[in-house]
Amino acid sequence: MENNYRFRTNILRVLVYLILTILLIITIVPIWLLLVNATRSTTEIQQGISILPSVHLVENYRILLSKGIDMFKGFRNSFFVAGASTLVTVYFSLLTAYGIVIYDFKGKKIISNFIIVLVMIPMQLSIIGFFQYMSKLGLTDNYASLILPLIANASGVFFGKQYLESMIIHDLIDAARIDGASELGIFHRIMFPMAVPGAVTLGIFAFVASWNNFFNAFILISSFEKYTLPMLVKTLRGDVYRTEYGAIYLGLAITIVPILIVYAIFSRYIVNGISLGAVKE
Amino acid sequence: MRFRIKRDYYGYLFIAPFIIGFLIFGLYPVYNTFSLSFTDTTLMSKTSEFVGLKNYIRLFADDFFMKAVKNTWLLWTLNFIPQVGIALLLSVWFTSTRLRIKAVGVWRAIYYLPNLLMPAAIARLFFGLFSFYGPVNQFMVQTGLIGEAMHFLQDIAVTQGLVVFIQWWMWFGQTIIILMAGMTAIPIHLYEAAMVDGATSLQMFRRITLPLLKPILIYIFVTSLVGGMQMFDIPYMLTDGRGSPVSSIMTNNVLMYMKFSSSKGHIGAASSVGVLIFIMTTIIALGIFYFLRERN
Amino acid sequence: MSKKLLLILSLLMVATLVLTACGGATEEAPMEEEPEAVVEEKEEKEEAEEAAPGKTVLNVWSFTNEIRTMAIAFEGKHPDVDVVYTMIPMTDGEYQTKLKASIGTADVPDVVALEAAFVKEWVEADFLANLNELLPLTEELKTFPAVVQVGTHDGISKGFSYQATPGAFFYRRSIAEECFGTDDPAAVQALVADLDKFVEAAATIKECSDGDYYMVGTSAALFNPFLANRAQPWIVDDTLVIDPMLEAYIDFAKVMRDNDYESQATQWSEGWFAGMSDTLVDADGVSKKIFSYFLPTWGLPYVLMPNSGDTGGDWGLIDGPLAYQWGGTWVGAMADSPNLDLAKDFIAFVALNEENLTNWATGVYTNEYLAAIDPEVPEDQAQAPGDFVSSQVVVEKITSSFDGSALYDWLGGQNNYEAFGKAAPKVNGAMLTGSDDAIQRALETVRDSYLNGEITEAEMWSAWLDSVRSEFPDLIIPDPPATE
Repeated sequence: MENNYRFRTNILRVLVYLILTILLIITIVPIWLLLVNATRSTTEIQQGISILPSVHLVENYRILLSKGIDMFKGFRNSFFVAGASTLVTVYFSLLTAYGIVIYDFKGKKIISNFIIVLVMIPMQLSIIGFFQYMSKLGLTDNYASLILPLIANASGVFFGKQYLESMIIHDLIDAARIDGASELGIFHRIMFPMAVPGAVTLGIFAFVASWNNFFNAFILISSFEKYTLPMLVKTLRGDVYRTEYGAIYLGLAITIVPILIVYAIFSRYIVNGISLGAVKE
Repeated sequence: MRFRIKRDYYGYLFIAPFIIGFLIFGLYPVYNTFSLSFTDTTLMSKTSEFVGLKNYIRLFADDFFMKAVKNTWLLWTLNFIPQVGIALLLSVWFTSTRLRIKAVGVWRAIYYLPNLLMPAAIARLFFGLFSFYGPVNQFMVQTGLIGEAMHFLQDIAVTQGLVVFIQWWMWFGQTIIILMAGMTAIPIHLYEAAMVDGATSLQMFRRITLPLLKPILIYIFVTSLVGGMQMFDIPYMLTDGRGSPVSSIMTNNVLMYMKFSSSKGHIGAASSVGVLIFIMTTIIALGIFYFLRERN
Repeated sequence: MSKKLLLILSLLMVATLVLTACGGATEEAPMEEEPEAVVEEKEEKEEAEEAAPGKTVLNVWSFTNEIRTMAIAFEGKHPDVDVVYTMIPMTDGEYQTKLKASIGTADVPDVVALEAAFVKEWVEADFLANLNELLPLTEELKTFPAVVQVGTHDGISKGFSYQATPGAFFYRRSIAEECFGTDDPAAVQALVADLDKFVEAAATIKECSDGDYYMVGTSAALFNPFLANRAQPWIVDDTLVIDPMLEAYIDFAKVMRDNDYESQATQWSEGWFAGMSDTLVDADGVSKKIFSYFLPTWGLPYVLMPNSGDTGGDWGLIDGPLAYQWGGTWVGAMADSPNLDLAKDFIAFVALNEENLTNWATGVYTNEYLAAIDPEVPEDQAQAPGDFVSSQVVVEKITSSFDGSALYDWLGGQNNYEAFGKAAPKVNGAMLTGSDDAIQRALETVRDSYLNGEITEAEMWSAWLDSVRSEFPDLIIPDPPATE
């Protein structure tokens, strides 16, 4: 009986690993092809796709640097903007979500529904109007116009609300209250630690979204010194008609690396099976 | 009783930053899009007039809008079902104590990678792969799968299929992460108790996992729906920016962008598309909420 | 307390709805009252950008770093001016969007660069300054008519260009030798002098190679040339005009496709590039060649030459069957600019100054030259010689300096500058309108379906007209052309 179970489990595991591997190949092939392009010259890239890398990596890197692009400053700018955006998004989204989930006040339903409805508004067209509005406020060419609006990130609040609803344990909170903790204190000292997986998830997504969002950044930021890394990569064109594809692909590859590092560091907090009150791991 | 009311006032405190932030930064863009939809504003002219519902009526005068809506629904549905299905399956496998899959973190990280790439690069890559003289044609003709080279990106089914595939590829990894974040919030002792009671994996999944994951699943559904209805990057960049072939991958947002970027920049007309997308999405989403609401 | 908050919130939401309903002409009125001092103050606040106190600041926006070279040269001639150059890419329309967003705000630039794809939109609208006072300079420099035509609308010139971009016909000498018995440019030109001869030549090429050589990469390459030779532009008196050249083009494309005179490699695809270096291989693994490419001035150094592999020296340059132009960058000034006079001086320097154009085209602006003026210039900022400038006076002056250049050898001993110099005056720039792009792209989409045999010609025309009608609701659409 026990052997049968073990046997079946093992067959299942083999099957699962097989499928995982197939998915892995499907996932990786296009990425590999793109990475390979970072080692090829513009001409080679224009002439077709290649599975094998070529020898132009150093040359592309040189082109990247020769355009007067300060990669390090771009990195710093990107980190600042993405980091600040992430902190603002996670903190305020969870703050608002907590308010909606835990407390029961007049107008709560309206506000809650209103926020969810906000998620559905297409924001693409409003960038021009937003720029003009920021211009009136004197906030153009200022990172504030990219970061501050995230205080009211409807999508983040929505995630926070759904996440907290699925995990909040009211007894723990009541217990803390009886112990005399303040409401804000409970938020910071009880909820946050419990909600780490959700917070980290939200944080990773916020980081990636901010890092990769350069269209809006181009509209709101003007000075070259403030350009983030993805923005700098996009300026890699010699002339209108001479695009340095090799250097661009290399730039794209470099742009991804920091995100991967951030992800690698923080993803372990979205671990399997850990939750408060568990007996064992 | 007074104590209770006072505490619930804290709710206002907590949501205050959001409300203030929204009033300062968020209100204007929302108002802007809505109000523009009732005007004939174009970006390249100085004057504009209030035209009431004219933009909306015009949308239904030809079949482009309905086509865009149909395409968007088709592309989203075909992408969404496998995306959530596979993500759910993988999430269950990754969190299964029975299977004890190794290196979950690594698998998950790799599946998430496509989400980090720029859609423009991906679209260009697939454009190159499937071009008339590209590798896919070479491969398929030389192995005898097809008789002669095809113009893949002029074939409706293939092009739509590619868009669906790329969307799935870009997003299923992210869905896995969200699902797993939700799953880790489910206390393990519930599963342990169930196993003691002799429940099978399937039963545990249906009775414990799914119900407790419901809020997260709703989140995934709604955000995927919103994103799907506004699908833009890949349909726009895979072919010619107009949804070819024959507008088969023209989605709502591609249509919106076409109106916005055409010579004069009909932002009024484009906004009306945006408003209708919004209304459609809201109705469906609120419908979902209604059907799946907690009945306490 | 909660009631009050609720009340305020509801009022706000109601206000939103009310304001929405009464939308109307509440579009932000251009901030014309912005005094010069405030604008300049803002400029000076931008740290680290070359804004030095005491100098007049000129804001120039462009989508490449090309014009930066001239901006620095301008600073060299005007030491009291500081040109603040901002580059915003136009890959996904960032540049155009930002430009449109800046209208009427304090962030509006003084000078803007406008690419051929969207220059006409701006010229036809009211946001660019009137530059008619610079027209006498175009007479002096004999600026090519097409350049001025594109930058003019209703008699008002709003943009000029430092380049002219006439199109040309590049052919493979070895294939010409093999199939026509000669590779001499004049002889080959006679063989493709008009469209009928062109099709005959295509037949010859196919026969002589048993179908392994194609006349062109794709008939789409001739779309531009056909369009440039219409009698009327797309829109006249709010009506769509379907010029006979349109039908001629579709017929031509069908002939090319049905007879396999084209390789069906879309422009800018890998097949198209592969044809340039003789590495084109079809799906069955058979080697194919492409005889000719339709490319303009910049196509030679930036597209054809880098991708030509080992085929350098095997190419010839002639006018081809139709005169046309492709691409180009115009420079204009924003009407709201507080530095309008300086902006006009800048434009005159960039596009209508003999010395600047000469230096630009002959490679005087090396990195060392620029660094002497502005030490912070990036190390790859320079202008190599060879750009075809817009002034006939300058072109004639410097043509002979291009004998013996690398391009000369690559063309088997032809002076490309001379060839372009002959082609440029023939180009008609009056057919362009701001609405061209949408109309033309709508046609290209359905044309391919028709050529593939998926739809009939009648279906193609009506699908195209439906598309145009949808995008231009106020346009009067004529009946589709008759088909058999």
